Amino acid sequence: MQDKAEAQPILSMNSVEVLYDNVMLAIKGVSVQVPKGEMIALLGSNGAGKSTTLKAISGLLKAERGRISRGEIKFEGEDITDALAQNRVQKGICHVIEGRRVFEHLSPDENLTAAAPTGMSRSTLNAEKEKIYAYFPRLAERRNSQAGYLSGGEQQMLAIGRALVTQPKLLMLDEPSLGLAPFLVAEIFGILQKINKEEGMSVLLVEQNALAALEIVSEGYLIENGRVVMNGTAEALKSNSDIQEFYLGGGEGTDFHNVKHYSRRKRWLS
Amino acid sequence: MDWIFLSELAINGALTGLLYSLFAIGLVLIYKASSVPNLAQGGLTMLGAYVVVALSHDAGLPLWLAIPLAALFMFALGFGIERVALRRLAGRPVVMILMLTLGLDIFLRGTTLAIWGGTSRSMELGVSYDPLFLGDIFISRIHLVGAAVAIGLFVAFMLFFRSRTGIKLRAIADDYTASWSVGISVERGVGLSWALASVVAVAAGVIWGEVQGVDQSLSLLLLKGLTVAVLGGLDSILGAVIAGIILGIIENVGADFIDPLVGGGSRELIVAAVLILTVMIRPHGLFGRHDIERV
Repeated sequence: MQDKAEAQPILSMNSVEVLYDNVMLAIKGVSVQVPKGEMIALLGSNGAGKSTTLKAISGLLKAERGRISRGEIKFEGEDITDALAQNRVQKGICHVIEGRRVFEHLSPDENLTAAAPTGMSRSTLNAEKEKIYAYFPRLAERRNSQAGYLSGGEQQMLAIGRALVTQPKLLMLDEPSLGLAPFLVAEIFGILQKINKEEGMSVLLVEQNALAALEIVSEGYLIENGRVVMNGTAEALKSNSDIQEFYLGGGEGTDFHNVKHYSRRKRWLS
Repeated sequence: MDWIFLSELAINGALTGLLYSLFAIGLVLIYKASSVPNLAQGGLTMLGAYVVVALSHDAGLPLWLAIPLAALFMFALGFGIERVALRRLAGRPVVMILMLTLGLDIFLRGTTLAIWGGTSRSMELGVSYDPLFLGDIFISRIHLVGAAVAIGLFVAFMLFFRSRTGIKLRAIADDYTASWSVGISVERGVGLSWALASVVAVAAGVIWGEVQGVDQSLSLLLLKGLTVAVLGGLDSILGAVIAGIILGIIENVGADFIDPLVGGGSRELIVAAVLILTVMIRPHGLFGRHDIERV
């Protein structure tokens, strides 16, 4: 643990500020480090700035007329603060955006094809697809149906599979557990862990479901009102009394009232 | 009932309809890749025809060279339109982009008027005006050529949308943000769709220029082309082809029945009725994709 933290991180984000429409400050000096090969979680309630942090890293802010007004983001030591989204994907950052967002009118197989980097050979693409179908056997069964009609869990798997086709070194996921049954969340998180171990892929996971996230990550950041308010190992965070009270439901198992309340708030906040 | 006359009307209607399809394929290409109906497709078709005439008659090039050169020019122009105008509007409401394409159409009409004037010019493809006889049925040769071009383009684009680039374009139409998130260059994809639609505009411009002469009225093909595209489903190439045939037959046969009763001019009415009824009864057209709503 100690050695890894001291090695050069694959991603380092230093005091980043993001402005939307040139007026709304969404995150205020967020610094996050992702050590190579580790799984890191960004926790926090809705509107805290977790998604904005991911978008700042993946370059998707532009689509929402947001921009990084201060700070810098380095990926493998290289400054990518102003790089285009597609160049960041080429460098190895892929962002599984919130709400699944598969290409609904394409088949799962075509969804994977669409994400293939230009210049990837047909045989490499097919090998990648088979690897992804091996991780998600449910997708293999439905590879030629229409993606819009897959179940929520299958769509989330497809969204992750689609990101894997880009062969990322850093995989970022925005609320993959949203709206999914607990057993599906466990299945998907299990697969993420497996990918992390087998491929050494670094993972940055944004979650409101802190309980599930802290089970699989090594380190977490707690974001509130656009700032990092706490940072520590998963163990330290799990035993912290504030976290227990506000994010883990009082430490007495999962409080579904609390969880439900959060996801309901989300609809009008974001 | 004169069956020979009726089938002549139907066959020539279908051929004319395929010429509408030729135009509508351009609309579908852009809609398929960016979910925007391109109101400038008429202007592009007219410009395509003018460029071919300028290269062949004014610059003296043979047609076999003038048409590919015009296609190349229009291909570059399509990319240019995305680069200069559309890129700034990415992420804005569709109605803004719609207004932009309308403005572009007016701009193109004004430009061709300024450069080449308003008198109608002929394309002179060299296709004989003698009708072809199929038994007792008259068929116009140029319509037959145009229908063949439409079907050729249909096959080419059906194959294209199964290729990797084609799949990426369909992905862009589905979701811009998701496309960006996996590294698809949405800008380049939209540019490519405009470039291809501009090449289709050259094909449509050449055929329609031969049929009705090259002048600003070519841009009014948009009305019929849009009707065909909407009836076919806006994002379906197959739909555009079949809807073109259907509209052509309804228009030709229907006008023959109704015109004597109302004293002419019922063609436009039939087209308008088809457009309005499609939108009211079947907004996704014959083959259009439906919005997927899972419960």
